[in-house]
Amino acid sequence: MFSVTRLLDVDATDRERVLGSVRAAAARSGAQRRLAELTDPGSRNGGDILLHLRFAAQSDWCTAEPVITEALTDPAITGINGVTYRGAPTRADGPATVYRTLLLRVQPDAPAEKIALFEAELRSMPRYVNTIRSWQLSRVDHAIGTTEWTHVFEQEFTDTAGLMGPYLMHPIHWAVVDRWFDPETTDVIIRDRVCHSFCAMDRPVLS
Amino acid sequence: MAEVFVLDRVLTKPGQARAFVDRYLAEYAPGAAERGMTLQNVLVSPPIWFEDQSNTVTITWSLPNPLAWWQMTWQGRPDPALGQWWSDVDALVLERSRTVASAAADVDALCAVESDV
Repeated sequence: MFSVTRLLDVDATDRERVLGSVRAAAARSGAQRRLAELTDPGSRNGGDILLHLRFAAQSDWCTAEPVITEALTDPAITGINGVTYRGAPTRADGPATVYRTLLLRVQPDAPAEKIALFEAELRSMPRYVNTIRSWQLSRVDHAIGTTEWTHVFEQEFTDTAGLMGPYLMHPIHWAVVDRWFDPETTDVIIRDRVCHSFCAMDRPVLS
Repeated sequence: MAEVFVLDRVLTKPGQARAFVDRYLAEYAPGAAERGMTLQNVLVSPPIWFEDQSNTVTITWSLPNPLAWWQMTWQGRPDPALGQWWSDVDALVLERSRTVASAAADVDALCAVESDV
């Protein structure tokens, strides 16, 4: 599976119009799964519109890319952070209503064994946080925007409360995983600002 | 919700323990307190200001709950001076770690945060 994410910064007065044109382009993209929504205000550096497309193969994205690119040239779009990547989600049963994606950049000088441990700890989180339904951790093929993103960690959550409560407040987050992001620890390997973006979903994205 | 403890454990370079503790208390501690942390203790092991050996300094801070921990780190993280401070005291430090902990009696409650789903 080949996935594309675009987080769009959009002038406030044009958001609904741009959302309409982005949705129309997504519908013509041929993506197997697609999501184009206004982001939740709780997002951080997550853009105003979240566009996510999942294709069977990279070649399908290559076919669709001109349609999407044209929609994203709207002058009301003032900035874009984005990634393309491969991989398949780990799926879990149960309803989900919120899609969340995290874009991050691991420092280029981070040792491989540290990166492997960081990735393993991220993958362990759904075992502890049962408001995470389906999820996927991927290394980035191609990044655009303010930072050379290296990883994408995406999840479907039961609801916003499941993201803001259990995910944030479980010790696996603040006492284990967060140290990789904390410049006060000696383990820090992510120093750039991340993109934390989430929105409502009315149909499965990962599941 | 359970208290959260932040533990800085620092193995100082020989003869540098007192200088490290002095700088920590004078330069680091005031900002940490402003971010919501309460200093519980600063322990020096062994309790001798060695001139030619290392000491282990263990500093314990507390916060009232995990949300306060997040609020603390969200305040500090955008400030490049904080990471820089740790780099500046590298000359006094052989190795160090920062860990986060809670009382054993609170572990089950902390991990049950999702139980109402």
